[in-house]
Amino acid sequence: MGLTAAGLLAVVLTFTIIALFIQGSIPFLQTVPLGEFLRGTRWAPLHEPSSYGVLPLVGATAVTTGIALAVAVPMGLLSAVFLSAYAPNPVRRMLKPVLELLAGVPTVVYGFFALRFVTPLLQRAFPVLGFWNGLSAGLVMGIMIVPYMASLSEDVLYAVPRSLWEGACALGATRFETVTRVVIPAALSGIGAAFILAMTRAVGETMIVALAAGRTPTWPPDPTQPLLTLTTAIVNIATGDHEATAFIWAAVFAIGLLLFLTTLFLNTISYLIIQRFREKYA
Amino acid sequence: MRGRRALEWAFALLAGGALGVSLVVLIVLIAITALQAGPITSMRSTAQAGISLSLRSMDVPGTRDSLAYASIAQVESGSPAAGLGMSRGDALIEVAGVAVDRPSRAWDAVGEAAGGQEVNLSVVWIPRSEITLGTLRAASTGGEPCVLLTSPSVAAQAAGLRAGDALVAAAGIPITGTRQAWEALVVAARTQGTPIELTLDREGERQVVLWDPSVQAELRFVRDPVRAWWTFLTSLNEPRYPERAGLLPAFVGSVYVVLVMAVVAFPLGIAGAVYLEEYAPTNVLTRIIEVLVANLAGTPSAVVGIIGLEVFARALGAGRSVLAGGLTLSILILPMLIVAAREALRSVPQTLRDAALAVGATRWETVRHHVLPYALPGILTGTILSFSRALGEAAPLLLLGAFLFVTYVPQGLRDSFTVVPLQIFEWATRPQDGFAAVAAAAIVILVALLLVLNAVAIVLRNRFQRRWSG
Repeated sequence: MGLTAAGLLAVVLTFTIIALFIQGSIPFLQTVPLGEFLRGTRWAPLHEPSSYGVLPLVGATAVTTGIALAVAVPMGLLSAVFLSAYAPNPVRRMLKPVLELLAGVPTVVYGFFALRFVTPLLQRAFPVLGFWNGLSAGLVMGIMIVPYMASLSEDVLYAVPRSLWEGACALGATRFETVTRVVIPAALSGIGAAFILAMTRAVGETMIVALAAGRTPTWPPDPTQPLLTLTTAIVNIATGDHEATAFIWAAVFAIGLLLFLTTLFLNTISYLIIQRFREKYA
Repeated sequence: MRGRRALEWAFALLAGGALGVSLVVLIVLIAITALQAGPITSMRSTAQAGISLSLRSMDVPGTRDSLAYASIAQVESGSPAAGLGMSRGDALIEVAGVAVDRPSRAWDAVGEAAGGQEVNLSVVWIPRSEITLGTLRAASTGGEPCVLLTSPSVAAQAAGLRAGDALVAAAGIPITGTRQAWEALVVAARTQGTPIELTLDREGERQVVLWDPSVQAELRFVRDPVRAWWTFLTSLNEPRYPERAGLLPAFVGSVYVVLVMAVVAFPLGIAGAVYLEEYAPTNVLTRIIEVLVANLAGTPSAVVGIIGLEVFARALGAGRSVLAGGLTLSILILPMLIVAAREALRSVPQTLRDAALAVGATRWETVRHHVLPYALPGILTGTILSFSRALGEAAPLLLLGAFLFVTYVPQGLRDSFTVVPLQIFEWATRPQDGFAAVAAAAIVILVALLLVLNAVAIVLRNRFQRRWSG
């Protein structure tokens, strides 16, 4: 009985979250029409007249996520290919835990890297770069996600049945041909799931952007200038010392709901992909 | 054939290169951070000597420039520095023969000076206005503003100044007001060296007096990295001065919050995993639960923070307390814990369950006496990994409004708190000299702690895996 309750906790939690966010968002949507929220290009909740267009935040999140994925996906995938196709077994056994260890470094640490080293370094190359900018935050976020992406893709490649590898080799394929023509196509859905999980991480990442990307909502978003992502907008309001009854809290729920639904959607897709993938090869 | 082989090699290099570059970049970043924490030793030794510095700047009279200087912001009573007569408001201008224009220069000078662990270094400072000059009053001479020395200090008297002298300029820098008089001395000493040509108006007559307003003395510095790091870790936080920053409140806060989280999340997580893996019927509901657990595990931590704020801090009235923080982190790690514990339970051979059931054990007895003990190492590994994730998590607690400026150690569940990652965030956002080093030092401690925890977990898991496969 108690165990069933514990099992149901996840259901209760999820529905509490959804209910809470919807309930919190209602007063917001009663004042700000949904169309204006989703299509507005000006985010100025504290100005008079206030404006609650979420596009600058969505754009900023898209920019940092895009940069991060542009780094993390090729690097992570190639690393995984190296580990599963080329690395001798002892090397693989040694490097896999190293990747896992690096994946455990807290994100606030990466935020510090971005702010203190990567931005000054990039500023030397591109003097137009702001002290806070989306580029450096996105790059560092990408570096942060590499171990995660590599670890996930390595699991996926490892799950491809040995017979496929050996069959390709027996037909005289080189490893390059085996990987690109046999293994990756076979693992494509799993790699897609890993890609989506990496994307979820980038969308939800808070501390790196809070430290390095700045707090200025701009439209259209420019990666060389300060940006305000969805997550930093939440941080901004929550740390802004507003009264608990202030209308601005409703905006937190609206943004939170948007974030939650986005990640819910992405996670569900990747979960479904993994389920199908498992059934096919297990 | 040749082309295929070249492609093969190129691809191997590309793939290996990608992994190598990623690892090297990550490790170099961590190494650079560790190096950034270097000044903490000399920062602590200046604090030990009794002085806290802060960066100030003054306008250079007659120009539009301003000059940065290291102001002695605090002198601890009874310290060696206090013994030398240093006091709050003095300008530090030289340490170990190195001109000091900002606090970090002073710390670097202490760190780089030759000598053993304990060194006596010459320090040069210009005491604040009342001690250097005495009491001043704004006046004018020949239509130009100047200051009148109404009661000269001991140092000024020794230099030959008398009550009633009007100070006009220091090394050519015009003295236009009482505040500017001392600033002109500091600027002159810093830019042109001592002694300073002081122009004064005595009973209507212009005179030039050569004067060195600075004080030089030997100050003992103890440069002990071990002690510096230890005091950093074990002292309370003084938010204004980086050389007196301490990690203790944040460290204890982290431990408390994670303890609360452990008490709440561990039993719930294990129970949830046991239910899903051992009891739940395979039906739509179970599938939905699985999807939801996977989803919760991927929910952005900022979103979890909003839940914590709304449910625990506000609705349940826990406020911005250790209790609310621990409960919020529980929501964050519960799905991770469930996923990890399920993996561990799934790896227990089915034969074990069948055997127990066959000899008449109930479901619960089977789980309690056979499945759980078998799965324990795996469960522990997952637990350690998720706890270390929680230790590094800042975003949800930032939203919860855990105070950034907690200077005391939390005593109980209802106290407000800060945690190490939040403290790092707070230090990292401070532009002043020295806070980057303090943030880097806290990062070194946090990352070292997490690496040890994760390494233990990984070793545990690898041994455990080998037992099954063997």
